[in-house]
Amino acid sequence: MSGLLEVTEVSKSFGGVRALTACHIDVAKGSIHGLIGPNGSGKTTLFNVITGYERIQQGEVRFDGIEITNAPPDQVFGLGIGRTFQLTRIFSRLTVLENMLVATQRREGWLRGLLHRAGSSSEKHRATELLEFVGIARLANEPAGNLSFGQRKLLELASLLVADPDVLLLDEPAGGVNPTLITHLADRINELNKAGKTFLVVEHNMEFVMSLCHEVTVLSQGRPLVSGAPDEVRANPAVLDAYLGGEDDAATQLELVSEDPARRPRAPVAPSRTVSLIQPRAKLGGPEPLLSVRGVSAGYGGGDILKEVTFDVPEGEITCIVGPNGAGKSTLLATISGLLRPRQGEIRFGGRVISGLAPREILARGIAHVPQVHSLFNEMTVRENVEMGAFTVDDRALVAQRLGTVGELYPIVRERADEKAGSLSGGQQRLVEFARSLMLDPTMIVLDEPSMGLDPQTRRIVFDMIELMNRQGKTILLVEQNARAGLRLSSRGVVLENGIVRLLGTGREVLEHPEIGALYLGGTVSTGGAPSAVG
Amino acid sequence: MSTAESGRARRWLILAGVAGALAVLAAFPLAVTDPAATSIAVFTLVFMVSTAAWNIFSGYSGYLALGHAVFFGSGGYAVALAARDWHFKGGWDVFALLPFGGLVAAAIAVPIGVIALRTRRHTFVVVTIAIFFIFQLAAFNLSFTGGTSGIELPIAPFPVATYNNPFYYVGLVILVMTIAMSWAVRRSRFGLQLLAIRDDEARARGLGVKTGRIKLAAFVLSAFPIGMVGGLYFYFLGQIFPQFAYDPLFDISLALMAFLGGIGTLVGPVLGAAVLEALQQYLTQSVSGSGTYLIVYGVLFLAVILLLPRGVVPTLTELVKSRRARAADSSTIEEPRDQAVRSVAGAIR
Repeated sequence: MSGLLEVTEVSKSFGGVRALTACHIDVAKGSIHGLIGPNGSGKTTLFNVITGYERIQQGEVRFDGIEITNAPPDQVFGLGIGRTFQLTRIFSRLTVLENMLVATQRREGWLRGLLHRAGSSSEKHRATELLEFVGIARLANEPAGNLSFGQRKLLELASLLVADPDVLLLDEPAGGVNPTLITHLADRINELNKAGKTFLVVEHNMEFVMSLCHEVTVLSQGRPLVSGAPDEVRANPAVLDAYLGGEDDAATQLELVSEDPARRPRAPVAPSRTVSLIQPRAKLGGPEPLLSVRGVSAGYGGGDILKEVTFDVPEGEITCIVGPNGAGKSTLLATISGLLRPRQGEIRFGGRVISGLAPREILARGIAHVPQVHSLFNEMTVRENVEMGAFTVDDRALVAQRLGTVGELYPIVRERADEKAGSLSGGQQRLVEFARSLMLDPTMIVLDEPSMGLDPQTRRIVFDMIELMNRQGKTILLVEQNARAGLRLSSRGVVLENGIVRLLGTGREVLEHPEIGALYLGGTVSTGGAPSAVG
Repeated sequence: MSTAESGRARRWLILAGVAGALAVLAAFPLAVTDPAATSIAVFTLVFMVSTAAWNIFSGYSGYLALGHAVFFGSGGYAVALAARDWHFKGGWDVFALLPFGGLVAAAIAVPIGVIALRTRRHTFVVVTIAIFFIFQLAAFNLSFTGGTSGIELPIAPFPVATYNNPFYYVGLVILVMTIAMSWAVRRSRFGLQLLAIRDDEARARGLGVKTGRIKLAAFVLSAFPIGMVGGLYFYFLGQIFPQFAYDPLFDISLALMAFLGGIGTLVGPVLGAAVLEALQQYLTQSVSGSGTYLIVYGVLFLAVILLLPRGVVPTLTELVKSRRARAADSSTIEEPRDQAVRSVAGAIR
């Protein structure tokens, strides 16, 4: 079977980082092809390469037998390949209907646009039909900027359909969209597919991918790992590794899905129930935890992302929060460090309530937050960046002393003190961020995805530093996409899914829990036949 | 009232408004015969045309161009040189050269556009300014521009009392033409694609919009009327010098006038120019110290950015709309204020 869209041996690197390595993918005509893989595995880069947003030096892209390697985006679209963006992009100051009229008709000359009035009645008619198809026709005259996140996704899809493309590349169509809308979206995709459209879909929502797609390709570190029918892919141990990380450690290889799926207990946990692996003694006795989160619900805009989250962070330990994309991990950290106010519930730190305090007050209490996105000031030197960590401290001598201590722990701070932070590699920047977080001598350090975007070697250094900081007395709360490595490092594990705490236990217990894989590949955690489980 | 009916009524209202405005503008020099006033009117028309033309590119595409004085000066020089070398006597015949000035400006806009439009946002602004200074420097130093002594244009043999009127009416015709052009662009597919570029250029490309050509076409289109009124302006003054032909204040004025009225709207920039240029000319004539208007400019600009971040016309339109909506007792979704501020901040950038 020859593909409608063929990507052959494509490599792409940004600076020194390889985003795609000899990547090959074959999308059959009339299929819905899923593309999954961990963060940074090159999914969006592949989209960018196909649609001409990124140029490649190596490899070939063919569409319907014609080579389109490095063709500009407008030409690619003209040939019949439409795409949506991960961060939904619409023309916010145009009305919804105007948004629908922007796309050029296929093989339309540009001069026609100069002379033609926008929106002949037939064009408007078709646009309205498509808006009805996705279900937002009543918003036609509304400025697109007023649409909700989900409506924007629908508009983005509909505006592509105007030009009747053969292939649609959808970048996380279900990301951040509520379940009802996801179903609606899946129905529309199925209908279009029946009408002959081919789809290539990047998505983290495994349920969506597995139920929708005919074929799924798993990307890992820029190359396809497995390609096949959804069930085959789901049952492939290598896929779990790509999602959980830790490919270098065969000893803790978890045989999660290699067992017969039929034998797996089916019963899902009632959504609000947390499975606690912690022994009652440990739960009740012992010293008071440093941080205690009790029934916290929080979110942005309308809905709650976190739903009554409850867990503890014991003093002097490393606690790791893991969970699939969109589970609310970053939101949880933002709530703890005060960037987001909880709607209900209470957070205590060292016995005192900190929920509702301003971020700087929480910082002053001793919680330092290293965010997911790199946060150094690129144009400032490394030393200036680290000093910024203590800009609330007026005592110059103390700052100098701390700078010395931090410099001993992080030689890079001394060695490259006068270089601009922007010139450092991603991993080095992470270390400088760690150094900066130590400048206020915090009690607890909150790390959001410290290993994201780092190669294995740098990742190890970063993890070593986390362990070292912990041994020097810092309590650490960390969110890690690389769940296996994160949990192995930690004494406590918290599994978050859809804003609900699903598992609590020691790092090892969570790591070895037979159902953790299910969290990453769709479905919900089941209790392994717990008597209370819903039959 | 049905929507079709109200649409028709609206159309008649707009037509009546346009006819009324035209009648007032046409009657102005007949009613106000003071040469001082009509001369202010001619200068004002020149800026109304320039701002409307600038808006066709910068307003619709979101690319802030600060070098359109190049087209103003080049149109002026083209008309001046043509009138001198082709031995025009002076009078109505020189007006026939204005389209030539426009064409020269448009021709110059092609290579400038090709170069400058390779860049985006801030870089684009800087490149247009740099190109502007190259032209200014060239005008000072090239032999055919007459260097600092400039070029004299023929003197029109119009009667002294109504000397300004022919210039006024020619300017008015160019203004009508420019606004018509802007209107046609706004309602064309081309215009819609320009607006799409303003909102998200990368996505527009992904929808098949040939962004490079669209931007260049708009850039060249916006140069033409400015070249024409450049010719008109210097014919009116009787001579052309580099420092007036390529004046950085011209660049800034256009942006300022468009912002005041409402950048990216059809009539906003025209109204902004009408108010600001008339005010400036009045202040220059009545207050001693030619720099006073600069202070007024600064204060106005700050006030507009802080109080009416999207310009007078869009703010008023919104106000009328929400009044009407409230009267009809139906709720509308109002654009959040911070979003409006951001959109202007984006436009400035």
